[in-house]
Parts: sequence; C-alpha cells; structure tokens
Amino acid sequence: MASFLRKRIISSAIPLVFVVLGVFCLARLTGNPVDLYLPLSATPEQRAEFSAAHGFDDSVPVQLWDYLGNAARLDFGVSLRTGEPADAMVLEAFPVTLQLAGMTMLLAVLGALLVGSLAAYRPQSAVDRLAGLLSMTAASIPDFWFAIMGVLVFGVALDWLPTSGTLGGPEVWVLPLATLLIRPFGVLVQVVRGSMVGALSAPYVKVARSKGADATRVVFGHALRNAITPVLTVAGDLAVGLVNGAVVVETVFGWPGIGKLMIDSILQRDFAVLQAAVLLTAVTIFALNILVDVCHALIDPRVRQAVPA
Amino acid sequence: MRSDRARTVLTLVVSGTMLVTSACAVANSDAAGDAGSAGGGTLRVVLTQEPPTLEPCESSLTATGVVVRSNVTEPLVERDPTSGRLEPLLATGWRQTKPTTWTFGIRSGVTFQNGRPFTAKDAAFSIERAVNSDLACNVDGYVFGDEKIDVRAVSPTRLTVTTRKADPILPLRLSFIEIVPRTTSTGAKVRIPVGTGPYAVRKWETGVSISLARNETYWGKAPAYPRARYVWRSDASVRAAMIDKGEADIATALDPVDATKDSTVAYPNNETTALRLDGREAPLNDIRVRRAIGMAVDRTGIVDALLGGLAKPAAQLVPPGVVGHNDGLATAPYRVAAARALVGRAAADGVPVKRRITLVARNGQFAGIAEVAEALQYQMARIGLNVRIRMADTATHLQYQLRPLPRGVGPIALLIMHGNQAGDAAFTTSQYLLSDGPQSTFGTARLDRRIAAANALSGKARQKAFAEVLAYQNEKVAQYAYLAHMRGLLGLSPSVRYRPDSATGDEMRLAEVRPVKAGNH
Repeated sequence: MASFLRKRIISSAIPLVFVVLGVFCLARLTGNPVDLYLPLSATPEQRAEFSAAHGFDDSVPVQLWDYLGNAARLDFGVSLRTGEPADAMVLEAFPVTLQLAGMTMLLAVLGALLVGSLAAYRPQSAVDRLAGLLSMTAASIPDFWFAIMGVLVFGVALDWLPTSGTLGGPEVWVLPLATLLIRPFGVLVQVVRGSMVGALSAPYVKVARSKGADATRVVFGHALRNAITPVLTVAGDLAVGLVNGAVVVETVFGWPGIGKLMIDSILQRDFAVLQAAVLLTAVTIFALNILVDVCHALIDPRVRQAVPA
Repeated sequence: MRSDRARTVLTLVVSGTMLVTSACAVANSDAAGDAGSAGGGTLRVVLTQEPPTLEPCESSLTATGVVVRSNVTEPLVERDPTSGRLEPLLATGWRQTKPTTWTFGIRSGVTFQNGRPFTAKDAAFSIERAVNSDLACNVDGYVFGDEKIDVRAVSPTRLTVTTRKADPILPLRLSFIEIVPRTTSTGAKVRIPVGTGPYAVRKWETGVSISLARNETYWGKAPAYPRARYVWRSDASVRAAMIDKGEADIATALDPVDATKDSTVAYPNNETTALRLDGREAPLNDIRVRRAIGMAVDRTGIVDALLGGLAKPAAQLVPPGVVGHNDGLATAPYRVAAARALVGRAAADGVPVKRRITLVARNGQFAGIAEVAEALQYQMARIGLNVRIRMADTATHLQYQLRPLPRGVGPIALLIMHGNQAGDAAFTTSQYLLSDGPQSTFGTARLDRRIAAANALSGKARQKAFAEVLAYQNEKVAQYAYLAHMRGLLGLSPSVRYRPDSATGDEMRLAEVRPVKAGNH
C-alpha cells in the first residue's frame, strides 16, 4: 500500500508542480507591479527601491527559487495591496467558496436525479420534453446574465430576496446558489435522463416490473443505482470546476471567496496572494484525488497492482 | 468506473463536511454588527470596489479618499469644491511670511480619535510623513513631485512650511495632506487610520465591509448618523438595485442608463476624457494628423448615444471651475471631410498614414468605454487612418500611460481619463503637458517655459497664464484629442438628503448627509 501511495503521489504531484510554476512565470510576464503601487511621479530611485524590496528586480529563476524556499517554510509572503500575510487572506476566502460550491453540487445532483429520472421514465412525454427544454436552457444561460436578472426580478421587482451581500439569514444564499447551480443542474439533468433511459430498458428492470415492483422502486431502487455512475463522474468534474468557477457569483453578489480574491490579485498584480490562492486550490484538488485513489485501492486490490512501477 | 464514483462521493462528502463545519459562517459573519437600516442609525454606502488601503497618505487614490478624507482624517486646509476657495479646517489661517515660507495658525481644542490632543507638532509630523518619508505615499508624488519641504512647529498653534522655490499654491497642496497623530508609524503604512474627523474606523472586515462610528469628541458639528457602513459591488446594476430596494442609502458611480430615475443625481466630477496621441511615432508625429483626429471625433454623438447625455464635449483637459480653465476655447469642429483632407495632405508629403495606430483603452474606466473606443476607431478610420483597439486592464494601461513609455509598440492613441481634483491647472500641466511630464509623450520647449512661468504666478495672472498654456497646447502642440468633461451619477435613497459636488467621487463627506424627516420626501 505504501508503494502504491508513493507512486500515486508522485504521478499526481507532477500537474501540481506545473500549475504552480506556470502561474508563477505567467504572472511575471504581465510586468512589474511597481506602477500600480507607487505614485504616478515616483522617481526612478523609488521605483528601483520598491522593486528591490519585493524582489522584482531579480531574474525570474531567482524569484522562483526564493519563492520555493519560502514556501517550504510555509512563508507565502505578504499582499502588496493590504500588507497582510498572503496565506491568511487565502485561508479566509477559501471556505466561502467551498461552502458555495459544496452546497451547489449537493442541490444540483439531488435535483438532477429527480428531474432526470422523471423525464426518463416516460420518454417523449410532456414531462420529458419540458425537462429537456429546461435543462437545455439552464445549461446555456450565461451566469452573469442570470445573476443580474435574478437581482432585478427577485431582489427588486418582487422584493423576495436581498440583492447581494453575505449578511443575513438563509435568504442571502438563494440568488448566489441559484446562479451557480443552474448550469451544473442543466448538464446533470441531461446526463441523468440519458443514462436512465438506457437503464430503464434493461432486462433486469423488466424483470422487476414483471414481479410487480411499483414505479418508485423501479426507478430509484433498480434503474438509478445502475445508471448513477456516469452522473457521478460528470458531477465530480463539475464540482472541481466550481471551486474556481465561482468568480462571477462572488463578484456580482459581493461574496469574499477565492475566485474574487484571485481575480483581484491578478488585476492588482498581487503576486503573493495569487500564488498562495493557486497553490491552495491545486493542493486541495491534489489531496482530493489522492484520497479518492487511496479509497479505491482499499476497496479494489486490483487497482494497487495495476499501478505501474 | 469505480474510481470515478469514489472520487465523486468523496467530493460530495468533503463539500458537505465543509458546509456543516462552517455552517453559515459567511452569512452571519457580521450578524451582531451594524447591518441595520438607515432608520436604525447606520448610513449605508455602496462603493464600486474595496479600498486597497485606508492609509491617510494614500488618500489621493479615489478608492481610499472616498472613505478616509474628511470622514476619518482631516487636512489643515480644504478647498470648497463649488467656489474653489480655500477654507480653514485644522488650520485657523495662513499667510506667506517670506517668498518661500508660509505660516499656518493651528486650531486648538481638537483631539484625535485616540484621545491625544492635536497640536502643530502633529501637523508637522503628518506633512513630513507624507512628503519627506520613505513611505512612497501617492499624495507625495501627485501633489509635491520631487519637492522636499522644511516643516517646523514653532509653537503648539503655529506651523511654518518652507520650500526651496516660492510656491504660491502651497496651502492648496497642503489640502491633500491628511493629519494623523505623532504616534502613527513612519516605517509602514497603517491599516486602520486615526484622525480628527467626525467618524472613526470601527472595523474593516476584509472583502465584506468597513464600519465607521461617530467620533463623539469631534470638534466640529456632529454628523447626523451615529454609524456608517461601506460595502462594495463591482456591478453598477447591483449598486442601483440596492438603492431601489432600500439596502443602501448612497451608491456611487451608477451607469448612465439609470440617469432617468428619481433616485439618481448627476454631478460634475472634474474628470475629462481624451485621446493622448503619441507624437513621437508616425503618423502621429505629424500635427496635421493629430488635428485631423480632433476634427474626426463626433463628441456630441458620443456623449448623447454612449454616455447617456451626462457628459459635456471638451476642448481642454481641465474642466470649468479649475484655475486655468480657458472659457474661450471651443471644441474642435466636427468636420470629417476637412479631417480627411488633412490626412490626405500628410500622406502626399510622405507621412505613413496607413501605419497601424493602436487605440488603448482601460476596461471599466467609465461606463461604456468599450463602445466609445469602437466609435473612436470608426471615426478615425473614416478619415483614412488604420486603427486597432486594445482593451487593457489597469496595470497594462498604466504601462502605456506612465513614463518610461513602452518601446517598440508603434503609434499609440491612449484613451485617458484625467481628474483634476486639486482645482489648479498646475496639477494637469505638470503631468500631461510638460515635455518630460510623467504622463506626457512629448511637448515643446516653448510650452515648458510657459508652464514654468505660469507656475510662479498667483491670482488672476495665474489664471490667465494657464489659460494661455492650454490654448497654446491646442494650437501648436495638439497632443490631445479631447472627448468630454464627464459627470458622475450618484444613487440616493429617498430617506437621505445629500448634495454631491465635484469632489464627491474622491471625498464623500458623510457628515453632510442628513436623514429626510417623515413627510419631507
């Protein structure tokens, strides 16, 4: 098991290293942030001093070496914007996005299983066509448009929900969740429907029906259990994407999450925060993948043996 | 397949665990705070962005100044944005006691929000900290340039400021220095400022809000609201919706599409938009081409169609009300045929008019900027020029805007928006018109001499000299194709009374906001 774990960590760590190195180098290609942080008429001496103080006058390889050395000591530098430790800013923002993404995926999966199964139970029925129309629409709507329309319709015109912000009760979650939810929900409904249509025509389902099983048991007890694998596969990919995909929601609704933090860091050339945010996100996904692989290997010994040396 | 399922299940489990462990941590993060309504005593302001810092010496940054200036900290002298006159604030008066020395009387009986008394030593410390320290404060570069000054607290109520050269507008420059106590760090910028203003910063919850509480020991008239709270939403339609729904009392920088609402107020914001033409690169190095661009711009059409009619066509970089504004300058005539003929004559003389010009504009600098850039591109192409657009973020735009200017990028027409909040054309000419100005691409020795001469004058002579500088720029240099003097749009809840002025975008004085009494709507 230790050998398997070591191999999986090494193979999974390679993309992580590429992501971190790529972001580090690409960020520096956008130029020295000195213009953003010094007065318009700062003297060349002041600019040089600023660059030297933050290491921007070194070559990129030297800056990278320093960064890696500091990161090994868990020192991720300080924000150019706020002067706060970059890791503290990132750790403060990350749970916000995780909450949004986690809640979104739970609701999207549960809703899609229900709607997709109903649509697949009677293909070409009115319910099926309605579900198809809704899911196609949901998967196609631009999230920024949906967010703004949600604010205007449900926030202002109907006065049911707050327009934005994080303060208040559960109602503050509704519009951000709905905006983040709509596309994964649309995609998953189509996947569930397609998978369930095939499952419901399988011989074992016909056997179940012939034995007198009611519709609920046939759909959720027999067909869905066998049809769920592709659904969960797609849901897994969507869940990982949501961690970084909440930028629009966080920007429009004023949620201080990791997506908004990364965008602000890019625009403000706040390299330390950007690197810390990317590193934390990448490590989280890396750890998640390792845990999944370990769990799978524990369940199925063939997986451990299949990993090449 | 099993691996996929296990991966997804684990994802969901982890997500669910995070939800449970941090349940509602975001939503209720300030539940005990001042999220109450205006009726509850909290004035709620929604800004376009979170201030990058609340450091008083950075208050010339719009996003910082709008929170800090005249709310948390105060200067010795303040400029009335309507009349342009200088008024005493923490100073009681001032006079020029020598050609290079100004003496200020300092107000007594004022205390800082931390309880320390304010004296001339604090004023001297604040000026030294902002101008002569190594903090690299924005206010230093913007207001004083490289000028070093000598500041002395002669007594607790008397301060002298000496410059190397005579400076007739030194009191105006000092109106940008926010006064802080002597206990403030000189080695690093502060996160939570302390000042003498009507409000003190109570809490800055990063990414969420900034809360202020009324300074109960304030020396002046007490503000009406005991608390104030800033939040920020980058989308203008969300800011407008917050006003419509009653979630905010004041919203800044709304889009022109909201101008017809009763809840919005337009105001001149001293910002001027223009194309800065890089006269070092062909074909923009030919004054006929630069003049032709000025004549090709349909200012009225752009203002009416793209800026909601809120702006006013411009003929110079400084708006009315600023010392040096030239009332006699007319906007360049909109004459496409004549402009095309000018370009044709330049081409006949060998100017490569088909060389591609890059029109650089900054995303989000003002509402509708992308459409304005496209209109300018079309209007320049119509007179025979080859123009492409490059939309840039702030940092990239600054690389084009500031010296040292980028090399090897060809001819650049930079769409700029310049705000002269100081009220004197010196702050514009030193940056945008001098041959080596930090934001100028070229100039002439004669224009430089005229600017230097105007800088040494005061009163009516100063006004006249700078007006002539601006006319000379248009006639002989033509570095700019002006677009419009802009206007801001403020959202106001029916429950508050506030009259914005030209300084509002940079300095929103919360003490001037009053609740509307019932029945007075």
